[in-house]
Amino acid sequence: MKRVVITGIGAFTSIGTGCQDFWKALLSGQSGISPVESFDTSKYAVHVGGEIKAFSPASYIKTLEAQKIGRTSQLGIAAAKLALEDAQVDMAALDLTRAAISMGTTSGEPNQIEQFDDYFVADNLQAAGDEMLTLYPCHHIAAYMAAELQFMGRNTMIPAACAAGTYAISHAFDMLRLGQADLALAGGADSFSRITYSGFAQLKAIAPERCQPFDKNRKGMIPAEGAGVLVLEPLERALARNARIYAEIAGCGLSCDAFHMTGGHPEEAGSVKAMENALFESGVQREEISYISAHGTGTPTNDMHETRAVKKVFGNRSGQVPISSIKSMLGHTMGAASAIETAVCALAAYTDRIPPTINLDESDPECDLDYVPNEAREHKVFAAMNNAYAFGGVNASLIVKKFKDAC
Amino acid sequence: MSQRVVITGKGIISSLADQADTLHNALCAGQCGLGSIGLFETQHMGGEVPSFDARAYLGDGNLRPLDRIAQLAASAAHLALEDSNWTTEMRAEQDVGIVLGTVFSSVHTIGTFDQLAIRRGPRFVKPLDFANTVINAATGQTAIWHNLRGINSTLSTGASSGLQAIGYASDLIRSGRISMLLAGGAEELCFETLFGFERAKLLGKRVESAVPFDAGRTGLIVGEGAAFVMLEDAEKAQARGASIIGEIRGYGTAFDPHRGQDADKLGMAMGMAIRAALAHSKLNIEDIDCISASACGSPMGDRCEAEAIAAVFGNQTASLPITAIKSALGETLGASGALQSVALVEHMHHGVLPGICGFKALEDGLYLPMAKKENCTIPMQNGLVLSFGLDGNMCALVLSKA
Repeated sequence: MKRVVITGIGAFTSIGTGCQDFWKALLSGQSGISPVESFDTSKYAVHVGGEIKAFSPASYIKTLEAQKIGRTSQLGIAAAKLALEDAQVDMAALDLTRAAISMGTTSGEPNQIEQFDDYFVADNLQAAGDEMLTLYPCHHIAAYMAAELQFMGRNTMIPAACAAGTYAISHAFDMLRLGQADLALAGGADSFSRITYSGFAQLKAIAPERCQPFDKNRKGMIPAEGAGVLVLEPLERALARNARIYAEIAGCGLSCDAFHMTGGHPEEAGSVKAMENALFESGVQREEISYISAHGTGTPTNDMHETRAVKKVFGNRSGQVPISSIKSMLGHTMGAASAIETAVCALAAYTDRIPPTINLDESDPECDLDYVPNEAREHKVFAAMNNAYAFGGVNASLIVKKFKDAC
Repeated sequence: MSQRVVITGKGIISSLADQADTLHNALCAGQCGLGSIGLFETQHMGGEVPSFDARAYLGDGNLRPLDRIAQLAASAAHLALEDSNWTTEMRAEQDVGIVLGTVFSSVHTIGTFDQLAIRRGPRFVKPLDFANTVINAATGQTAIWHNLRGINSTLSTGASSGLQAIGYASDLIRSGRISMLLAGGAEELCFETLFGFERAKLLGKRVESAVPFDAGRTGLIVGEGAAFVMLEDAEKAQARGASIIGEIRGYGTAFDPHRGQDADKLGMAMGMAIRAALAHSKLNIEDIDCISASACGSPMGDRCEAEAIAAVFGNQTASLPITAIKSALGETLGASGALQSVALVEHMHHGVLPGICGFKALEDGLYLPMAKKENCTIPMQNGLVLSFGLDGNMCALVLSKA
């Protein structure tokens, strides 16, 4: 099978857009958390989120009419364009019939069903728009991206909740290593959702002010929105066009707890298996993993179980592997999260820098590993692992490694 | 690891039958599963699974956490696991995966959850329902119910979701990442989905309106159901003594960036997907013995499909048996390609390809002489399944009889 490399990164987030601005913001520990504006939170006990406040879709969307597609699709297109630009892909030289898109999401276009619900409850469905079929189902996100870019290759949406980005990247990885495409845009996108906010608020899982992964006083996750898209290519194509290579995709591990819809496995069975499968598939040794991008939501249970799972896999080395959660800065961008975090792993391997876990004030005896508290760090990163866990008991771990020409 | 991916079991829940041979017989007898809808108030016709009771398949456990689509999916999964003899004990030892294709997923649950928040306030929403507001809820629930700890993925590509899920799953085996998984699709009939189709003006008014390739067709009828095939690495399936009923030879996809706005471009994408499937299968057009068409009664979609088939198969089209089962089951969206696949394996096994339910006369100008009402008795080794989303995603898959 072919080797697959990451040659472009496009992030659209609350703290920065594109590759460089985003990376700079992450390394400087910026927070994208602010009061929610997209709907009225007065009836909720919490009021903050990770919304993207300044976004003008029309500056990215040219072929399609920006205002006629959903926000998640708009974010996906913006991130895709940024990624293609970053990769300096010559579109004229690209065989569009072999240009693929594989995207992940948690909620697709939730704003569409939320609008329907408003009309439905008001008993005024006549006034609702005609877009339920043409905008709501989540496959439209990858489809509108392809329509904007005129991509005719494989086009998939993998709604695997908060591990969706990794699942989508692993699917693109397979397409490319099996020779089914020449280039793939792979990642995840989600827009800010009232439904998601209501659910997590009801579970009392939302932190009131700050997201503090691994802190002793952590109070929960913070829902957010965003998109992350990577340009993936077979190594020989990237070399032939002299592309900058951020990192190589080494392998991934996918598993399911088959235990609980919203909670993890009490013994971390699935998350341990995902990490072990990723190590096995990639052939990367445990000692070579020099950074872990944590799922690190900031909820009391996630961070404790994730710490335990890392200890089970890395044993007495676990204290030596820097681990950080960028959700401390962005909040939880849902289906986009693990795609953005895969980009972070690639950038860590490319630049030998690790973004911090911010808001980490007091260490927790149950979370006693090296979480890169509050300050970015220079650190030689040979291979980096990204962990993602999701509703449905879905687990995914993906390993990228520093690119070296010889295998 | 071998490169061959075989089918070792099948399970279906549909408006006509919950066993593949019963579905085959019903289709051959010209039975139609479409009619008025009892699930909710509507004037539209639909392909509802009549008096569906998941307890018949899943027993007396607590079904409350599973909404309708999850119950349909878990029931079909139960039948496929039973048929392939993946016992509870075997599943406790080995990690079986699942890939589910769906379009609207749990949209009714999602809407209901949000509507309660609007009516009574966000502090009154039900946590149990929140778990089902993610699009992959049915996949997760099915995995929990059947203890499926392998890869757990959900695929949405529009109406081709179920077929493309089978293709995607076969790649997961080919890439060596897993040796066995359930692959298929599910869709539930609900108010929100019908509302979408009604507003898009795609619905046929009567059952007779939705006959594939028929001159009198005016639009589709939405249906529901679920179907899974158990896919396994051929060597491992043989080693465990599994009964092999078919093989996934290959699949192909294509995307129409004009998204159905231009009939020529739509037909071109359909043809590209068929050619890609043949190439991936390393088969020629002469090797294909039958087709299960995607056609749903859409005036433009069916015409483009007929033209794409004629363009790829040329003169062979005159003698190539073709069936289309959506005038019997409805457009079951995410379930449709998986239902077609299970049905086609069964048709090939019996050596009879059912005629098209309700078919009267081919639309003028279409070259598809084998589209007819009568069944076709003929030996079939390799079959082509087509599943085309008229909003962009085309998928074609080649199956072989064991």
